[in-house]
Amino acid sequence: MAPNTLAPMSVDKGACPKTASRSHPAKKAAGAAANPDKYSSFGKDESAADPESDLYKPIPTVQDKWKILPSFLEVRGLVKQHLDSFNYFINEDLRLIVSANARVVSDVDPSFYLKYTNVYVGKPSIEEDLTHHDIRPQECRLRELTYSAPIFVDIEYTRGRSIVGRRGVLIGRMPIMLRSSHCVLYGRTEDEVIQMEECPIDPGGYFVCKGVEKVILIQEQLSNNRIIVELDRKGFVTASVTSSTHERKSKTNLITKSNKIYLKHNSMTEDIPIAIILKAMGIESDQEIIQLIGSEQIFADAFGASLQEASLAKVFTSHQALEYIANRVRMPKRAWGGPAVQRRSRVDEARDILAQVVLAHVPVPQFYFRKKAIYIGLMIRRMILAQNDPSHIDDRDYYGNKRLELAGQLLGLLFEDLFKRFNFELKRSIDQTLSKSNRSQPFDVSRLIQVRQDVITNGLVHAISTGNWSVKRFKMERAGVTQVLSRLSFVSALGMMTRISSQFEKTRKVSGPRALQPSQFGMLCPSDTPEGEACGLIKNLALMTHVTTHVAETQIANIVFSIGAQDAELYSGTELAGSTALPGVEPYLVFLNGSMLGVVNDADKFVSEFRQIRRAGLVSEFVSVYRNSAQRCVHIASDGGRVCRPLVIVDTRTGAPRVTARHITELRLGLRSFQDFVRDGLVEYLDVNEENDSHIALYENLIHRDQTTHLEIEPFTILGVCAGVIPYPHHNQSPRNTYQCAMGKQAIGVISYNQYQRFDTLLYFICYPQRPLVTTRAFQMVDFDKLPAGQNAIIAVMSYTGYDIEDALVMNKASLDRGFARCQVLRKHSTVIKKYPNQSFDRIVGPPPGDQTGTKFGVLEADGICGVSERIEPGQIYVNKQTPINTSGTLRDLSVISDASFKSAPMTFRSPCSGYIDKVILTPNNDNQLLVKVNMRTTRRPELGDKFSSRHGQKGVVGVIVNQEDMPFTDEGLCPDIIMNPHGFPSRMTVGKMIELLAGKAGVLEGEDRYGTAFGGDKVDDMGEQLIAHGYNYFGKDYLTSGVTGEALTAYVFFGPVYYQKLKHMVMDKMHARARGPRAVLTRQPTEGRSRDGGLRLGEMERDCLIGYGASMLLLERLMTSSDEFEVDVCKRCGLLGYAGWCNYCKSSSEVSHLKIPYACKLLFQELQAMNIGKI
Amino acid sequence: MSDDPRYICAECGHECSLSQSNKIQCTECGYRVLYKKRTKNIIQFEAR
Repeated sequence: MAPNTLAPMSVDKGACPKTASRSHPAKKAAGAAANPDKYSSFGKDESAADPESDLYKPIPTVQDKWKILPSFLEVRGLVKQHLDSFNYFINEDLRLIVSANARVVSDVDPSFYLKYTNVYVGKPSIEEDLTHHDIRPQECRLRELTYSAPIFVDIEYTRGRSIVGRRGVLIGRMPIMLRSSHCVLYGRTEDEVIQMEECPIDPGGYFVCKGVEKVILIQEQLSNNRIIVELDRKGFVTASVTSSTHERKSKTNLITKSNKIYLKHNSMTEDIPIAIILKAMGIESDQEIIQLIGSEQIFADAFGASLQEASLAKVFTSHQALEYIANRVRMPKRAWGGPAVQRRSRVDEARDILAQVVLAHVPVPQFYFRKKAIYIGLMIRRMILAQNDPSHIDDRDYYGNKRLELAGQLLGLLFEDLFKRFNFELKRSIDQTLSKSNRSQPFDVSRLIQVRQDVITNGLVHAISTGNWSVKRFKMERAGVTQVLSRLSFVSALGMMTRISSQFEKTRKVSGPRALQPSQFGMLCPSDTPEGEACGLIKNLALMTHVTTHVAETQIANIVFSIGAQDAELYSGTELAGSTALPGVEPYLVFLNGSMLGVVNDADKFVSEFRQIRRAGLVSEFVSVYRNSAQRCVHIASDGGRVCRPLVIVDTRTGAPRVTARHITELRLGLRSFQDFVRDGLVEYLDVNEENDSHIALYENLIHRDQTTHLEIEPFTILGVCAGVIPYPHHNQSPRNTYQCAMGKQAIGVISYNQYQRFDTLLYFICYPQRPLVTTRAFQMVDFDKLPAGQNAIIAVMSYTGYDIEDALVMNKASLDRGFARCQVLRKHSTVIKKYPNQSFDRIVGPPPGDQTGTKFGVLEADGICGVSERIEPGQIYVNKQTPINTSGTLRDLSVISDASFKSAPMTFRSPCSGYIDKVILTPNNDNQLLVKVNMRTTRRPELGDKFSSRHGQKGVVGVIVNQEDMPFTDEGLCPDIIMNPHGFPSRMTVGKMIELLAGKAGVLEGEDRYGTAFGGDKVDDMGEQLIAHGYNYFGKDYLTSGVTGEALTAYVFFGPVYYQKLKHMVMDKMHARARGPRAVLTRQPTEGRSRDGGLRLGEMERDCLIGYGASMLLLERLMTSSDEFEVDVCKRCGLLGYAGWCNYCKSSSEVSHLKIPYACKLLFQELQAMNIGKI
Repeated sequence: MSDDPRYICAECGHECSLSQSNKIQCTECGYRVLYKKRTKNIIQFEAR
């Protein structure tokens, strides 16, 4: 550590905000902004002879501080959180899980054991035809395989009388996250990645499972092992802790009932008075109990009734308390089929539950309950404080109380469950084998393991490909954990990797979890959330956010004790609770990940020392430490799933940011990377809780000496990926940015560098992509400028033809001819040439002999598969497949399979328009059956009704396409591509779009990019000056001549380039009409839906209108004649249906009449008859 | 036969033909993804 980086940081009481209120860092900065005089007065005093006069110089603003960002993203990438989490799982957690379940023993043979000594994951590979070969992600996509790597274990077991070791035994396959440490792409150069047919810009972080790209979404949860004080439904204070250890997950509640505190837990049949719990834990004297809580008067007053409860129940000693609890313990169900456990005394059982189940995360070594008692004392203390002062009630939605579960953790849960099941099944078959008495050779367990590998392989693949996470141990049952990676455009894929879904039900009408919490500042994007039911429940990470992974606790605990913490068990209750009886001493409890470690007397010193140790790199940079003065606690967190972000450290005493111009120069010269900034203690990561204990300045001029501890790196990083590409978002009305975030994901653009190699079900890409003229810093940092999704259109903001109402756009036909917004659609059609169990198989046959040009066999070649790059019309066959008629029975003679035993099952091209065969692939799939994939390509030019949008949530459809000669033009002869109606502006207030136009116009005249970075960017004033310098109007207005009349327009028109996106909603995919067509078999009504060429439904409400109007004949026609009219013969005597004028029930034709009813009605009658309702 | 459809290995670019019984595998490098070769017919693209 460099000595200059560790200048003592005086964290006196003024430095850290004393109140641990939920006040927001930005708010603090804003407060500072409101008081600028304080700062300027420093400047005036400069003349005063002061030995530390340099202290009073204005703090220099570091130019180009944002340049840290690209460096940050370079080392980190946007999906680092996924990769880190997965790497931690593969490299560390896997080992922990296996070592926690390392022994398998047999009930039959006590001398037998199997021990896993090591576990490791190999390289992604596949076994085919008994040979192993390495696989790459692209091969998996093409062949619909799973990109997975073998999991090997080293084992030690008994064979006969000897102990044998064996290395590298395969127990299953682990799907591998792309670009993680075990991926073949890891650490490769751009060229090497391209060699593997991967896109170098693709961020990775997803899985390829059965050929489909799957993302495990980030799940948001309330943090475990932390006390949360809340109000229950009746308004009483409760404190709850969800304890989570490797073995157990349980929730412990302390509740208030008629002013008394009880413990509520699933393992107890009723609520137990808390005093009895404490007595059972060995705190027998009432005084000691009170002292654990706090010896001030309010605690004694509030807890008196609860204490009395114990004596009323005649519980005075620990043994009595345990007996009391034992009578109310829910008997644990015995494990199925397990041998009868030796009965312990009920008191022992109660004690065991108190030690192991209640507050399971607090360790109770050898039934020494002291720590747990202190913990309960603290919970009660916080409850009583909250009863007296509502500000002590915790906020569930506060982001410091949240943890994000990532792919690694979720896979860890799943793997542990599967591994346990694997071991259980292994044990069963070991028992089975060992119970057979005479074996020819000694039993070797390693053979059994080889057989069982499917349990883990299939379990993991199934969970990832369906998204159903079920872990029986924790009663976890979640659906929709994984989603198919959306490859509509590059941002949509990136946006998916930063998405966070929370566990709340969507139907609940609570606003709390949906609202933007101030503590999310800088961590989550304030704009990027869907509209509608999932609004606010699905969030996105901001640009700089990092999600932590678990850091081992032992080393941290050692550091805590070596910098002055003392074991809490050495303190008496009075000392812990810090009563007024001991003035001057304010002991703070030190917690590490929610469990109590010890006590410190000088919390400020402790916290600042711990931070210095962290800045020196002696503990992980992701360990957070913060002080909560209201609870008198110091919390150290090293658990996984906390969100954090980097900030520049400010020397509090001098008010100087540690990052200086020199560092930025070094960064620019490539002498320094982001990691060096962290290592040298210039920048550090703060999580939400520690942020709350810091004073963060937004800009250099807002730094307060002796107060400010940190400085923002760049304000625009509060936005996420999707909002980051909006130019001038700070000028837009907030919902418009949210709309754009949703719309940017639907924009057609460039997907990746390997887009032409991909075989997706549906892939759109734009023909002539353009980089926007007005970009943002974030835009360039996420490499979006390399894979853009849109084009710079020249727009005129004016009214034209009247086909531009309601946001419709007028388009220039000549622009479309030149290729504006032209896109291509690639659709995959695939078929499997199956082999059946009875040796029969599908086959592909060539077209019938003779010239087939123009027929449905027109594009087939001799192999029965369409020719590549042929034009294919709807209805033509692209794979002439035939299937055997007999696929289940036995075949008589395999050698002679006649053509008659096949029926033809051709794959026919269905599409509204013709297409071209782009590529054809033949490959064996996972089951070694031939898979034929055909990619069809169609080129689309914009047509009436196609949807477009600018980057400001301003969407519109093409209303009319106008010949260029009818379009207005400027005096330069410039004609707009798009005419936009000015009514789009006043109500939407998207000023950013206007500024984008100005900046774009100035940029195009100067021949340079313009920046519309959030909270910065090029100034309107400068843009206007540049326009004037080029002979244009300051406000961007131009003189236009009407193309229709040739006269000058009576007003100057706002005219210039704006970046437009073509959205995936195109008329061709949607338009649908039908007169007559297919009908459903059962009801004989017209089919439903466009894909089945369905009818247009006259629904209930439309029916109501017709009834109300009295148009009975129209109703009859719509609902029967045009739908499912059916002629029946009905007998008037019995009321049953007959046929051909004959009633079979009455055996007569005398009273049969002929009428028309809906077929559905006849169907209903017959179904009722089938249920024996009515006569038969 | 010369107008037998030809296939190209996705890995090494080797050109091969397939008969009904053949495995789908490149005869040179053993890679199992084969692209079909472009048709020899003259294709006119529609320019709109």
